[in-house]
Amino acid sequence: MEGEDWVYPEKVKEHFLNPRNFLFGDESKFDFDATGIVGNPICGDQMKMYIKVKDDRIVDLRWKTYGCASAIASTSALSELAKGKTLDEALNISAKDIDNYLGNLPKHKFHCSVLGHEALADAIKNYREQKK
Amino acid sequence: MVYLDYAATSPLLPEVIKAMHEAEEKYFANASALHTPGHLSMNKIEEARKLLAKLINAEPDEIIFTSGASESNNTVIRTFEGHKIITSPLEHHSVIETAKVLGGDEKPVLYSYMLANNEIGEILPIKDIAKKAHKEGGFVHSDLTQTLGKLPLDVKALDLDYATFSAHKIGGPIGVGALYIRKGVPFEPLIIGGSQEKHRRGSTYNTVGIAGFGAALKYVLDHKTWEIYDTKVRALRDELASRILKEVPGSSLNTELDGEKSLPNILNVSFEAAEGESIQLYLDAEGIIVSTGSACASGDIKPSHVLMAKTGDAEVAHSSIRFSFGLDNTKEDVEKVMAVLPGIIERLQKISTIERKIK
Repeated sequence: MEGEDWVYPEKVKEHFLNPRNFLFGDESKFDFDATGIVGNPICGDQMKMYIKVKDDRIVDLRWKTYGCASAIASTSALSELAKGKTLDEALNISAKDIDNYLGNLPKHKFHCSVLGHEALADAIKNYREQKK
Repeated sequence: MVYLDYAATSPLLPEVIKAMHEAEEKYFANASALHTPGHLSMNKIEEARKLLAKLINAEPDEIIFTSGASESNNTVIRTFEGHKIITSPLEHHSVIETAKVLGGDEKPVLYSYMLANNEIGEILPIKDIAKKAHKEGGFVHSDLTQTLGKLPLDVKALDLDYATFSAHKIGGPIGVGALYIRKGVPFEPLIIGGSQEKHRRGSTYNTVGIAGFGAALKYVLDHKTWEIYDTKVRALRDELASRILKEVPGSSLNTELDGEKSLPNILNVSFEAAEGESIQLYLDAEGIIVSTGSACASGDIKPSHVLMAKTGDAEVAHSSIRFSFGLDNTKEDVEKVMAVLPGIIERLQKISTIERKIK
């Protein structure tokens, strides 16, 4: 099936069908330093980020999502964008950055499903609080 | 492709395509005209009207053609503008939203209850509603869109004053519907400005579409499709249901399979911790076509009002998938679904933020 036949841009389809860096199954399978969460299953979307930090840099991360195709794709895209970034750089990743990376989601999807950066920010906040 | 979205719309029957091509060539003339080509077009329309009348046990005069079920529903509600309008919570938006805008306190009351719901297939006790309504001096409308061809229908036995029908759920074209209006009940046309349909609906007759609807109605009558639905299609639906329950952890049915309780062709299932749109699109990538009550899929911000009314649980609604069968589905289709569905659900559950409670 060609991307043009699909409801979302090709890059969204690609990340939806082959998501990167997701945490499959039990959380304990990934050795993380902090987690952050955003959204609510009642609203239809929830994302959780798990980060591993070394020298103020995200050296590895995983995510979990309950949500629609664009929620899965956008969280996957974010994980690619955030990997290797310093915590401050990672905090600067915006919903717009994710949207641009994916080739622009339909507007009504953008607001409800591009939330992963908030979960990431929450994880970074939690990490910094633990360090205090 | 395994198409399991027949309750949304059905592919055109070959007989329908043939009838529409024929009508395009032969019955292009304005059916209201007195000349011979116009008269021949009108004959074609009356043929379809008689078929529907026969199928639902009405008089041909009690039926008008419309642009579809939404128009038929709107027409009835509009007739009762300012009146108290009572609907079931499972109605289509073309009933619920219209009643919200146009309803009031005047009497007589209009009751609008579908016979069978499109999302979960639930069959409503329409005879009891009609009895209650008529006892109070009120009127009853029923949206029979999902029921046509699926169950035997008799508007007189159901004691209905108005009933809505659509062509495209039975292999006919989109853009054609009908409305049954019992003799002597109140009626106001929705489209004013023409003497068509005996002043009950303005606009030049859609001869080609109505001819297609007629061919689909003929198919239903000739094959007694409601009997095939009750046997062959019900068996497929029930088999898929029992296999899902057995093979997919976290699954629960939103459709009651019991013979009297649901249409034989609809199966609505929720998969705990897996979101409906994602399930739908992973199935789509495998060539399996279904629909979902998740908000994400509708472009709306709220999940299915039907599942919310039935379960009160947004997560159940967001995680729901509707499989709706047609006459062409086979046992192999069920096999193909079950070859991929358990894996898709497991994967979504394993990356989900929600812990599964049903093991």
